[in-house]
Amino acid sequence: MAGIVPEQWSAAENGNGNVTTKGSSRELRHGRTAHNMSSSSLRKKSDIRIIQKVPYKGLKDFLANLQEVILGTKLAILFPAIPAAIIGTYCGFSQPLIFGLSLLGLTPLAERVSFLTEQLAFYTGPTLGGLLNATCGNATELIIAILALTNNKVAVVKYSLLGSILSNLLLVLGTSLFCGGIANLRREQRFDRKQADVNFFLLLMGLLCHLLPMLFGYVASGETSAALVSDMSLNLSRASSIVMLIAYIAYLVFQLWTHRQLFDAQDEEDEYDDNVADEETPVIGFWSGFAWLVGMTLVIALLSEYVVATIEDASESWNLSVSFISIILLPIVGNAAEHAGAIIFAFKNKLDISLGVALGSATQIGLFVVPLTVIVSWILGINMDLNFNLLETGSLALSIIITAFTLQDGTSHYMKGLVLLLCYIIIAICFFIDKLPQKQPNAIHLGHQPMNNVVTGSGGVFSS
Amino acid sequence: MGTIVEPWAMAENGYANANETIKGSSRELRHGRTAHNLSSSSLRKKSDLRLIQKIPCKTLKNILSNLQEVILGTKLTFLFLAIPLAILANSHHYGRSLIFGLSLIGLTPLAERVSFLTEQLAFYTGPTVGGLLNATCGNATELIIAILALANNKVGVVKYSLLGSILSNLLLVLGSSLFCGGIANIRREQRFDRKQADVNFFLLLMGLLCHLLPLLIKYAMIGKSSTSQINKMSLNLSRISSIIMLIAYIAYLIFQLWTHRQLFEAQEKEDDDDAYDDEVTVEETPVIGFWSGFAWLIGMTLVIALLSEYAVDTIEEASDLWGLSVSFISIVLLPIVGNAAEHAGAIIFAFKNKLDISLGVALGSATQISLFVVPLTVIVAWIMGIKMDLNFNILETSSLAFAIIIIAFTLQDGTSHYMKGMVLLLCYVIIAACFYVDQTPQKQPKNNLGGVLSA
Repeated sequence: MAGIVPEQWSAAENGNGNVTTKGSSRELRHGRTAHNMSSSSLRKKSDIRIIQKVPYKGLKDFLANLQEVILGTKLAILFPAIPAAIIGTYCGFSQPLIFGLSLLGLTPLAERVSFLTEQLAFYTGPTLGGLLNATCGNATELIIAILALTNNKVAVVKYSLLGSILSNLLLVLGTSLFCGGIANLRREQRFDRKQADVNFFLLLMGLLCHLLPMLFGYVASGETSAALVSDMSLNLSRASSIVMLIAYIAYLVFQLWTHRQLFDAQDEEDEYDDNVADEETPVIGFWSGFAWLVGMTLVIALLSEYVVATIEDASESWNLSVSFISIILLPIVGNAAEHAGAIIFAFKNKLDISLGVALGSATQIGLFVVPLTVIVSWILGINMDLNFNLLETGSLALSIIITAFTLQDGTSHYMKGLVLLLCYIIIAICFFIDKLPQKQPNAIHLGHQPMNNVVTGSGGVFSS
Repeated sequence: MGTIVEPWAMAENGYANANETIKGSSRELRHGRTAHNLSSSSLRKKSDLRLIQKIPCKTLKNILSNLQEVILGTKLTFLFLAIPLAILANSHHYGRSLIFGLSLIGLTPLAERVSFLTEQLAFYTGPTVGGLLNATCGNATELIIAILALANNKVGVVKYSLLGSILSNLLLVLGSSLFCGGIANIRREQRFDRKQADVNFFLLLMGLLCHLLPLLIKYAMIGKSSTSQINKMSLNLSRISSIIMLIAYIAYLIFQLWTHRQLFEAQEKEDDDDAYDDEVTVEETPVIGFWSGFAWLIGMTLVIALLSEYAVDTIEEASDLWGLSVSFISIVLLPIVGNAAEHAGAIIFAFKNKLDISLGVALGSATQISLFVVPLTVIVAWIMGIKMDLNFNILETSSLAFAIIIIAFTLQDGTSHYMKGMVLLLCYVIIAACFYVDQTPQKQPKNNLGGVLSA
């Protein structure tokens, strides 16, 4: 694979490509989104001097390529966790250890995938690049979800996706606004609320899709058989998923074609840091990037597989409920790169980018990963519906509504961030102390089962 | 019919004169038309009087042209054929679902014509009474269907159809307006005045509270007191709430027609500059006389009542035959028919980038149903001795709450683009899908007299 790349790569290195493409707008050239810009803040320029001394050219290129991809991030120190996790599996380490190592290993991989899609976008043009970014931006979450699904752990899927939305909305946004508010205490912090609004409409629509199947369980108390209810809920969820995907496609059209200016606006005024601007040429070739992307995806899949397989053991030995691990721990790992980026941009008082990262990521999971998972499970013949139970749906609804209210007036201060953060802590505590046995994923994978448990379990209020 | 000749002839002969003499006063003030009416009028066409002019006998000529104005004055005319067909089918005992379908189709043009007639009457009664008339008869079809279903003791159908009407106005009518408007004016800025919309939201939220509390009483009290006691509490609360809702509606009318008129007319002033379609401007004189209009209105109301009676009678058979639940038919199909005219109008105005009018139609209509038709129905039921409360069940109430909240968010910033319309439309699709797949037996209106409370 290294043989194909030298041309493009050396062009990029020698700086010729830099000059020729400088004329066109950065934006239009590779369709990067706020999501990508945020991840890029974790990158460092790699030092190529040592490699230059290597005499053999093919080897030199290969090593430079390797260095760009592996060492191009500040999270590179976490890469050793990957071989450790693999070795751990074969040497029969304890399950919780493997779980922890896999989680650690996933963190830099999530950032690298976003780096690679951005690199590929240089070659594919803005529209295709935007699509690629929009699809692979949350690749880690998607892979974990699909692997958990094939293991029939529907609850882990639901919890991790829900947790990812919650963590983006409350934790990432909350820390960004808080840190931004503290750092820019005396300055006005403004953002463009139009972009945020579009995300909220979509998130609210997603909420509706979760709400209705859940309510079926309460409507049909008594007379209706549980099988009928779960059937109805499943049909509705599948129809809703298709509608959600339509909405997501419309959102992509809106974002990448018809109303581009709404999402690009923040960039023109920015002209942000020089060292980031320097990076605006592809540092690796198309095929090399593609091969790396495939390879990384496989490693992510492998680590996800470990995570999914060991989650219950970890839960037992750490004495944390599976729901807490899925809702709180998994998303923190998956979102670490975006999280750090969003905070860095908030420090620089560039709230538009922070908002774009947090809300864009939440929308992507809510309107793309979730329905895609439902449809994949439909194909696999697994009964996964959109019913997230009362506690989870309630938390989601509250997060969406409080975030929407927070962002109503287009300005920010640290208090807003603090309230969002505290809300996240409250929700985390709620799932931490929630040790209801029905939350165990083995009991949940047949759709309606847990729902009825909740009906009878929550004080018998609804079981007339 | 003899009495009507004079005003009518005046209207016809002095077409140009009358037009000029009253040109001075604002169109608005003259006959108190609301956004709702403006929207319906977009479906009208000018009738061609030439043929009739050749008829020698004057009275006959007048009657014929009157008939033509009322019957042929809309683009939906061809749907009138469904009315005699429905009556025929009923007397010959055709399939019940056929009668149901024909009645629904026949109701569509009638809803538009009633709004035309009230507007005509408003020319004679002056702006305030006219505004009141429009505000009251704007959703006459929904009101008549509701009262007839009530008389047949089908409380489930009443609740579902009213709820569906609010949902369809909020999500479907508004969603398709914003979507079409957004696509048609993709490069232009689409602005509207959010003050008018906000007033509607306050009222809709208040209406939501009135539906929420009886529902919550049920959940709060289960196990603590007997079902009949809960029923009684919920019923009493609903009746008191209904009276309060009517008070709020009266206050809203005062707000809209007297004290804050300018808030609701704002869109008109800029319209005059645009001088929107000539044909609409030309139509600004009464085309039929007062008594003629009044007689037509009564006649139409009776026909609506007849068709509604058919629709209410046959809804269960249609539901069985088509394999659709009664709740789906009541929530989704009935309101689409009742709102067809406003719906078309709202979309046409959105195409012309006049979002204020589209919003006025959709939100005004939703407010009217929620704060006027619903409490009126509860009070009528009270008078008839039927126990109808405001408890709409959890699925329906949440859909309503969700629709109101998402619309309120959508209209917060005073601008629009097609994505907003698209999301609203998709939300409507999801809610419709929800009622489509919902085959819970307790939804059958027959055993649903007191909502879920009877369960």
